[in-house]
Amino acid sequence: MSDRPLREPTFLILTALAERPQHGYGIMTDVERISGGRVKLRPGTLYAALDRVVAEGLVEADREEVVGGRVRRYYRLTPPGSGRLAAEVERLRHNASVAAKRLRLGTQAAGGPA
Amino acid sequence: MSTGGGLEASYRRLLRCYPAWYRGQHEEEILGVLMTAARPGQRRPGVRDWADLPWSALKIRARTVLRGAASQPWADALTQFAVLLPLLLVVLRVTELCVGGAKNGIGSPADILIGAYGDPGAYTRGFQLNPFSAALTGNVTDALTAGPLPPLVLAVLVGLGLRRAAAALAACVPLAFLTIALTNDYTLAGGPRTDGILYAWALESLALLASPGTARGWKALRWRPGALLAAGTAALSVAVNGGFWPLVAAPISIQRARSLRLLGPGHIPRGFLDRLLGTGPAGLGDWLLAQGTLIALIVVVIVIMLVSSPVNRRVLVLLAVPFALESVIYACSLVNPPLPAAVGNTIATLPLLVILMAAIAVSMGPQRGAGAGTTGRPTPSSGP
Repeated sequence: MSDRPLREPTFLILTALAERPQHGYGIMTDVERISGGRVKLRPGTLYAALDRVVAEGLVEADREEVVGGRVRRYYRLTPPGSGRLAAEVERLRHNASVAAKRLRLGTQAAGGPA
Repeated sequence: MSTGGGLEASYRRLLRCYPAWYRGQHEEEILGVLMTAARPGQRRPGVRDWADLPWSALKIRARTVLRGAASQPWADALTQFAVLLPLLLVVLRVTELCVGGAKNGIGSPADILIGAYGDPGAYTRGFQLNPFSAALTGNVTDALTAGPLPPLVLAVLVGLGLRRAAAALAACVPLAFLTIALTNDYTLAGGPRTDGILYAWALESLALLASPGTARGWKALRWRPGALLAAGTAALSVAVNGGFWPLVAAPISIQRARSLRLLGPGHIPRGFLDRLLGTGPAGLGDWLLAQGTLIALIVVVIVIMLVSSPVNRRVLVLLAVPFALESVIYACSLVNPPLPAAVGNTIATLPLLVILMAAIAVSMGPQRGAGAGTTGRPTPSSGP
């Protein structure tokens, strides 16, 4: 498994699928919601990213539905995908924790007595 | 038609940028997302879609190529190409031998070995006219690039499914030629046809390593009429007429040129255009008579291949690569004043080294299975 940090769109797509399987449009809207409107994936970008994570075995097709005459394919996180996301969360948590601690120490040093 | 119909048609046009296999799996799905995300009353794709869809399609296409054997049509095409090319080279050599032999006699085994078809005594003449070392290196390089033995051995190895051994041989032939050529002051850009053969060998090595399907040997060669017909035609044309070579430098005999001179609609001045069309002193009429039928046949075969299947189209592309590189080298050889030998050698050697480095990179990559199903393409439709 790759140890490289996940790119943000990939991280957000995996996060969108962490709770339940979703179809393409659902992932798009969820990614926008999770990122607070900061990341808006276009359909082409979304499916290019899905193509990559499916090829890497992080995501797989779950089921298909026909809604209004159109095919909707749902995607779900695979066990390796869950593991990869969990590892990324841990990495980010560790980095965030270290950054917060350093900031706190820096603030104390700046504001405290010499 | 509703505005949705027009918008859908526009999106479908944009989605044509994607490879056919990808569209087959995802076109309706992506279209559904695009239509759901469209604004009410939207008539045309937005600017961002115009940028996003082609760019994403380009990424998918690049990934498809990079995955190599992961794409089924390319995997099949690489397999077909890797098994076809040695057969093509053998057919080519046998045809050259038959044609040359019928004209001037076959010559000794040594003459055949160095590819001096229809030129009896060429082997010994080389030693009489040149210093021993020069004659020897000349004969060895001729045997490598024009002789029948290397393609024959390669065809046997490939036919038996000895993939790695065949790939090693295919890589060794151009490397051996390069080593001899560059240590004996050869000017590679002066012999584009030889360079084309070397590129074909290197490409064969890459195709063998990139395509696990070749481990099945001759059994991997499915009966694909278009590909086989094209291979046979190309071999025959190369052997009899110099193949595509007449397009750039047709050797027209003086007698035929004189007898056909009056048939030509006009005389194109000698020079670049003359050489380019291979018109020679006889003008366009001779060129058409000598090469027109052959070219028409090649065009028909190419059209058959193009329309027959996606795999055949890819085989055609792969077969065209050595010719395309050869054409570039030929164009370089026309530069006046001629390029310095070092520059010409660099230009001729560079594609060869790139192909061989790619072969090394592929051989060092993860091992792929050699079963009948060589696809590694993701199958997102595996779900219910």
